[in-house]
Parts: sequence; structure tokens; C-alpha cells
Amino acid sequence: MLLFQSEELIDKWCKRNNLKRGEILTIQQVWDLSKLWYHNRLSVDFHGRSVEQVAEVFKQAGLKSKFWYV
Amino acid sequence: MVDLLWQTRAFIYSHFADTTHPPSVDVTAAHFDISTEEASEYYKELHNRHAFFLEPNTLTIRMANPFSGIPTDFKVHANGKTYFANCAWDMLGIPAALHCDAVIDAVCTESDETILLEIKNGELTQSPITNHQLLVHFPLPFARWYDDLVFT
Repeated sequence: MLLFQSEELIDKWCKRNNLKRGEILTIQQVWDLSKLWYHNRLSVDFHGRSVEQVAEVFKQAGLKSKFWYV
Repeated sequence: MVDLLWQTRAFIYSHFADTTHPPSVDVTAAHFDISTEEASEYYKELHNRHAFFLEPNTLTIRMANPFSGIPTDFKVHANGKTYFANCAWDMLGIPAALHCDAVIDAVCTESDETILLEIKNGELTQSPITNHQLLVHFPLPFARWYDDLVFT
């Protein structure tokens, strides 16, 4: 996942790399997602996530489009 | 064995957090007082379970998300150390995982500008030197993230 300063620059990068545009989130959205996704990563009890748990994280982060289907 | 497998995972993450880089198999073996061969098997198993990711055909840890085992354009300064993150998402994942304040300097793709972000008391602020709305591009849908994790 790369950082950009505008949607135009994302489109330019996609075109140059012959890729379709994926999903674009604001930096604040990614921070909110990071807290949900990584808050327990250093815990001894973290053994990964089930499909259901991944879906729940995306739901809590407000990511509901088909792009985020698990 | 299962307990030690997950203890190995926890040790690797703790080592990353403490030192900013991953432990070698030898260091991990010494920590648990087990053979290098046994530690190697845990590394391979944890890689297969996507707990972290090894460089191809090696036992060198490339990624234990959000931490990167190699230098990148995403630097996270926290707790008096400088970590490298794997990507624009993981640069925010490091302070989230460490539960600490951080200053992030990262290079924007295409414009090549370096931007500064700060995490303080759980809030994100962007340096006033740029007026741009920073965006993160996720090139692949979740279902394909593990096809090629370096690209993702």
C-alpha cells in the first residue's frame, strides 16, 4: 500500500504500472483501521484472525464495499 | 510444540519491538534453549500460517507486519527508536501495535515528497508543511492480499 498526495497521482501511477485503480482511503481512515487491525499484534495470545474476525474489523472500520469481502 | 510455536511468534514480535529488527534463527534457538533445527521448523511453520513472512528460500524474516526487516520509505520514530514499516498502512500500524506516540516520515509515490505525520495520544496529525490530503492506495482486494505480499 503506497502513499499519495492526490487521486490524480494514483491514477498516473496505476496507468504507468498497467494496473487498475484499487481502493483509496484517507490517511485518517487508515489510522482508524490500523488501530483495529494491529492493537493486539504483540500479544502472546494473538494467533491470527478467522475470516469472521477479519470481516468484523472491516465492518467496524466502515469498509463495506466488495473490495473488502473476505 | 504448539505452545512453543506461538511463543516463538511472540518472541519475534517482542524482539522487533525492542530492537527494530527480527531475530535470527540462532538467536531464537538460544532464547528458548532449543536446537537451531527446531527453531527453523517453527519459522517455516509460522511463515506457512502467515504469522510472518520469510525471504524466499531463507530463514530471514522479511515482514512481521507491521514491522519490516529491511529498510523502506516508511520510517517510524517511536520510543527512541526508528522502525521501518512495510507500507503506508503498516507505518500507522507500528504505533497502533506499540500503543505509543510516534513521528512518521514517509515518501509519497509519484511526487517523491517526504511528509511528516505525528501520532500523539492516539490522534493523528499531519505536518503543516503540506496542504495535500494524504491518500493510501490499496491495489488489490483483500481476497488477493496474500497472492504476492511484497507487491500488496
